[in-house]
Amino acid sequence: MECLIGMKFDGFSLIAHDNSAGRSVLVMKQNQDKIFHLGDHLAMVVCGDTGDTVYFGEFIQKNLAYYRIKNGYSLSPSAAVNYTRHEMAKRLRQAPNLVNLIMTGYDESTKQTSLYFMDYLGTLADVPFAAHGYGSYFALSTLDRYHRSNMSKEEAEGLLLKCILEVQKRLVINLPSFSFYFVDENGVSSKRTVKTEPAKVVGESTGEQQSEEMDVFV
Amino acid sequence: MASVLADKYCSKSLRGILMDGECGPGHEYNYQPLNNSFTVPPGIDPHHFVSPFMSDSSDCKIKFNHGTTTLAFKFQHGVIVAVDSRATAGSYIASQTVKKVIEINPYLLGTMAGGAADCAYWERQLSFECRIYELRNKERISVAAASKLLANMVSYYKGYGLSMGTMICGWDKKGPGIYYVDTDGNRFTNNIFSVGSGSTYAYGVIDSTYKWSMSIEEARELGKRAIYHATYRDSYSGGVVNLYHVQEDGWTKVSQTDVKSLHYQYEEEKNKEIINNEEL
Amino acid sequence: MANPFEYNGSAVVGMIGSGCVAIAADRRLGIQGQTIATTFDKIYPMNESLYIGFYGLATDALTVSSRLKYQLNLYQLRENRQIKPKAFMHMTSNLLYSKRFGYYFVEPVIAGLDPVTKDPYIATMDLIGCPMETKDFVVVGTCSEQLYGMCESLWKPDLEPEDLFETISQALMNAVDRDALSGWGAIVHVIEKDKVTTRTLKARMD
Repeated sequence: MECLIGMKFDGFSLIAHDNSAGRSVLVMKQNQDKIFHLGDHLAMVVCGDTGDTVYFGEFIQKNLAYYRIKNGYSLSPSAAVNYTRHEMAKRLRQAPNLVNLIMTGYDESTKQTSLYFMDYLGTLADVPFAAHGYGSYFALSTLDRYHRSNMSKEEAEGLLLKCILEVQKRLVINLPSFSFYFVDENGVSSKRTVKTEPAKVVGESTGEQQSEEMDVFV
Repeated sequence: MASVLADKYCSKSLRGILMDGECGPGHEYNYQPLNNSFTVPPGIDPHHFVSPFMSDSSDCKIKFNHGTTTLAFKFQHGVIVAVDSRATAGSYIASQTVKKVIEINPYLLGTMAGGAADCAYWERQLSFECRIYELRNKERISVAAASKLLANMVSYYKGYGLSMGTMICGWDKKGPGIYYVDTDGNRFTNNIFSVGSGSTYAYGVIDSTYKWSMSIEEARELGKRAIYHATYRDSYSGGVVNLYHVQEDGWTKVSQTDVKSLHYQYEEEKNKEIINNEEL
Repeated sequence: MANPFEYNGSAVVGMIGSGCVAIAADRRLGIQGQTIATTFDKIYPMNESLYIGFYGLATDALTVSSRLKYQLNLYQLRENRQIKPKAFMHMTSNLLYSKRFGYYFVEPVIAGLDPVTKDPYIATMDLIGCPMETKDFVVVGTCSEQLYGMCESLWKPDLEPEDLFETISQALMNAVDRDALSGWGAIVHVIEKDKVTTRTLKARMD
């Protein structure tokens, strides 16, 4: 139901999540935050079972903060994501914990940006871009087509918008609002939100000629 | 003419030859196979008989070739039809060289998704019907009428386990035409369609580039690219891209390209783009 | 999730040559029909001449590989020597059997050279650690039938490192080309007594 999108470029990364929250057939709100700030240069967006996402997200967030306080320095993005994977894999064989996430960070010591895909099983992959949820069926090919590692922030934002528009155009589920964040050497940017008009009617907005349903035996 | 066809497809009296009146679905517009040769389980309602084999939870589900990516779109210079060529049985790749575009006649194409046998059989039957129409009426059948014939044929068997998602593409008096027809009984027309397990990926590429006013070159490239991107992300699509173009004077097969060569060609173009940008 | 072994898709092969072994795997990480990554490593180096590759559920492969690396590091610190491939195989087997009643959904392939005698060694095991050592090749994967066919027809005794590379590469590539769930590139490690050569293969990406 929900959709997460993340992409990595030279020197920065971009993560986005939809803003819808609800249960069953009901949408309860359209301004839900799904990001967890894990450090100055580290953040993750989560989706999955309501409750599990918040519980797991906060658990990781607080334990990383505890590590920082205890040791006086933060875990690197790769260490943090491996710790997160460890916790995820541990839960897999205890109580079902349905949380999918995309984590991204800027490593100040190596000057590297990293983006990680993780699902509720603890499957971890280092990828140039990733998407979760039904939106991934539409966004991934758009990303395959247009993603270039040397894009500027403006171009990256344009690419994200392309993905969001495609999801809104083709996905049956209504996701009218997305929030996104840049992560770079200056840390995690402030939240920006894109809201779009209700999706235009599929395929008919672009063509000048549209044949009408005709009587068969004319 | 209308009455001839109406007789053929509506006649309730003929239905009795095929099977007992009680066991057929009670549709008004029905299709009668010409040789009346479809055998159905005796003494059982066929609809009821096949239902355990159709459900996902069934241990003995009949497996059809579901993996496919097919697409078709209209633009100012006609219709582009592009398909992949993979057939899978479970995770086994049974073939990489399937022809998923069915050439119904020189002006009509059908695409194949779902059951290969169902598509091949019913579209062959459609080609026969279209030829009969031409002989009777001394003019070609419209895309709308052809697709409606197919929709009527398969909807007679709704619930019997047919599996087919097809696009009937062609050119008639009204210009380019595409109709989506499936075995649930859907039939619609639009400018863009994509069908199959990889269809969402193909849509992702088409929607971001598509314009009615594309040139022929741009449109052909878009069709090819959309299929390529679908084969990359979808396990159950692959092989070669078969590309057709329908214009006023009928269809032509434009190209057949292995997606392996497309992948490395696109990758090279992407790398060049990145290098050029850095030089700027 | 019907079968955890077919959830992510993978193919791993190990082969013995003359004084050398090779281990190769595809690079796809998928979630059923959807390809997530095409640079996903399924083979983990354990020391300079010992590698382990996994077929099965990707999360368990990551867990088992890191637990093995941890145990192996302790072993090598304690013993102050490199582990023998056979001993490592038993370590893996014991780890898998320790989860006898709640398995890790992985089947490993182990390939390496004995640190002292430099004898080539390959082995595989089932998900609860029943070992199988062979003198020719071992295969696991969503396309194991295809891999068996390829290896049975291509493998010969006493292949030199370059020929072994060609053989294992052809076997893997042609097997995954008949499997929807694995492929999207491949990586091959050829382990010789004084060096390891790692190459990635240009493959079909569909």
